[in-house]
Amino acid sequence: MATSLVRQTKLLSIVTSQLSSAACFRNIHCTAACLKNRAARIRVGKGDKSVTYEQAYHPHHIGHRKGWLSQHTSNLQGEDGAAERVVEDVFIRRFMYGTFHGCLADEIVIKRRGNLLVICAVMIQKLLPSKFYFLIGYTEELLSHFYKCPVKIEMQTVEEKVVYKYL
Amino acid sequence: MASSCSQALRHHVCKSSRILQEIVIPKKKTWSKEAVLQALASTVNRDPTASDYRFQDDPYLTPKTSSEFKLFSLSQESGRNAAKYFISTYPKYFQKDYAQPHIPCLMPETLEAQIEEVSEAALIERIQMRKVKAAVDLYDQLQQAGTPVSLDVTNQLLDLICFYGDCDPAQENVPEQRNEETEDVQDEPQTKKGRASKASDKLKAAWKENNNAERIFALLSEPNTHSYSALIRGMVKYGAYSKAFSTYTDLLNNQLKADVSTFNALITAAPEVKEKYNEKWELIVDLLKQMAEQKVKPNLLTLNAVLKALRRCGTVGKSQAFPVISEMRALSIDPSLASYNHLLSIFYKPGAPFQGQTDILQEVMNEVSGKSFTPQDPDDAQFFITAVRICLDTKDIEQAYRVHELLGVGENWRLLGNDFQQNIYHARFFSLLCMMENIDVVLKWYRDLVPSVYYPSSNVMRDLLQVLDTDNRLDLIPQIWKDLKQLGHGNRQTLVEELLTLMAREKQNQEVQETFAECALDIKKMYDTGDRGKVMMSWTAGSLSDLVSVLLAAQRRQDAWEILKLFKTHNRVPSEELLDKFLTCIKESGDVNQALELVQISAGFCLPGTPKLIQRVQQEFLLSEQQKSMLSDLEIQTFNSD
Repeated sequence: MATSLVRQTKLLSIVTSQLSSAACFRNIHCTAACLKNRAARIRVGKGDKSVTYEQAYHPHHIGHRKGWLSQHTSNLQGEDGAAERVVEDVFIRRFMYGTFHGCLADEIVIKRRGNLLVICAVMIQKLLPSKFYFLIGYTEELLSHFYKCPVKIEMQTVEEKVVYKYL
Repeated sequence: MASSCSQALRHHVCKSSRILQEIVIPKKKTWSKEAVLQALASTVNRDPTASDYRFQDDPYLTPKTSSEFKLFSLSQESGRNAAKYFISTYPKYFQKDYAQPHIPCLMPETLEAQIEEVSEAALIERIQMRKVKAAVDLYDQLQQAGTPVSLDVTNQLLDLICFYGDCDPAQENVPEQRNEETEDVQDEPQTKKGRASKASDKLKAAWKENNNAERIFALLSEPNTHSYSALIRGMVKYGAYSKAFSTYTDLLNNQLKADVSTFNALITAAPEVKEKYNEKWELIVDLLKQMAEQKVKPNLLTLNAVLKALRRCGTVGKSQAFPVISEMRALSIDPSLASYNHLLSIFYKPGAPFQGQTDILQEVMNEVSGKSFTPQDPDDAQFFITAVRICLDTKDIEQAYRVHELLGVGENWRLLGNDFQQNIYHARFFSLLCMMENIDVVLKWYRDLVPSVYYPSSNVMRDLLQVLDTDNRLDLIPQIWKDLKQLGHGNRQTLVEELLTLMAREKQNQEVQETFAECALDIKKMYDTGDRGKVMMSWTAGSLSDLVSVLLAAQRRQDAWEILKLFKTHNRVPSEELLDKFLTCIKESGDVNQALELVQISAGFCLPGTPKLIQRVQQEFLLSEQQKSMLSDLEIQTFNSD
């Protein structure tokens, strides 16, 4: 599909160049719109929206005022598998969001040490501890079998979502 | 890395120097892959402030009582079972294998037999999947079709049937509602209970007459040693002892030799078939002689079976136990912890009085100290509990310390048993400490064990209170009360009343008295708040008086006055000494009205001491005319009622 699109653009660019007399080319952009200046930013509003520390700081603060949410070694020189790690991370985040519905206080941090996958989550004390343990046992077992590696959950609970500021 | 090298080198040196008395430094040493991790792990001891490794490290998620411990670990386990159910129901989503090298335990397991046709390979598959009924049916089909089944496979089938007693093992992960599997699941007595069946449930199933094992055995043209062995062991496991012996005589009549596991089973069955101690022992000796004749070498399980049988042999057991062990030693069979357990049980019967047998425990501890044991026999797990029970009964704290030390050696912690047995062990150990040691040692162990390893019951906490009393450290009571609340014992009436009595008994110095008053008010809250589902405590006259005395001693007259009013609401009668004490306290402050109210309360209860109280008030207080007349009225009233 990529090659046919490229051919179409070439065709179209030839056509447009023939149509337009000026030397500037008007090409068709075929990628999805990636708005780099709108991702992961909560815009300033009326002042009633509460945001956590993670949400308050924008992506260019990563490394300066924020840490990383996903820690693995595939982005080092000579290491591979970065794309697979990203897909795994996305799946794990959605899985945790759905399994512990309404209990997550903040984004999940995923750490990989060797073979081990550690999911660090901060939860609101919405459920009874026995229910939390049921879901923890279920998640650990299911994800271990799914990814064929040991998965551990390290959970911390807070009474309510920790608000950093209001936007 | 260098420290671990030197540590292992020192260890190697110590080992070799014990044997050779000279230092031999190896040229090259290879390390296992986990050597660094093991060296690091050996530097860290157990953290007494953390809970069990199973739980999350968060105050909301840490269990604080033993019931919470059980609830959380069970709910985590049931979550795992729920995941396993999904994995086995939809295995196609879990087939992709990322792991190199392959990890077989993370692949979905097949619960249904794959091979459908009637053949020997299908039979072997069903045997491996432990499907007893299906295997027996397939065997019958093979017999009817005329296909010969080899003796090996038939022996495996016999093993399977005899091990499970002709019932299917209850599936642990399958919830009870799923009945689409074989109908036999419903026939099992185990499914009546909604949990995985324990070994005790299985053993209740008795060996049925003419069951499949015997039938298939009879169909065999030439049963060999293995077949007889399977049948005899199954019979002994499920209680058909005399049948086992008759099968053994069949085996001898067919000029076959029995193997060591058959003899072990027969020795286990020997105490059941004979009545008198001598006869039991003679039967065992007879079996052992036959073993020697048939040139079958005994193993560790033989020794343990003999010792276990000797437990049922009374005095004969005591005289024969040590010779048996020495003979087995001569055959280079070293006793395991199970053997020592049986030995201790032979000599220390629970409930029997001890006459000079205390040195046996010491000798056993001398033998086992410093050694690391591996599990070799299912009864190994009973050793620590038996040993600490004997220490508790003989009040031997030295040996108890040695037993506890043994638990820290090498891999021995694995032999402590499941959570229930661990609880028993720690309860007995802690009770012994409370009985024998002074308060500082007890508190040191208390802080070490509670609540990271052990959640004490209310009886053990009462022992702890007694130690506090004996060593005159009653100032620690408020701390113990906090722990009691956390452990969930805050609403046990006897324990709370004992606390109040201890606090009220003597007058302490000022700061201690203040803490006592705070603690007492906290205790009062426990009586009032009726939390849903919590056991409600009821006030008694004694506990109310103790509470008032504690508050008075801390000069908290207002609070004490509130409590005094509670006497009326709960229909309890205060004692005279209490009212006397109260009056003395009021006199210090000089509140006349309160004194009059006190007298009225006393008259309201029709106490015999009321006239004395009235006299005291008239003498010690400065009264107005109105108050004097009121008092004289009261005096006449009480005089008339006498």
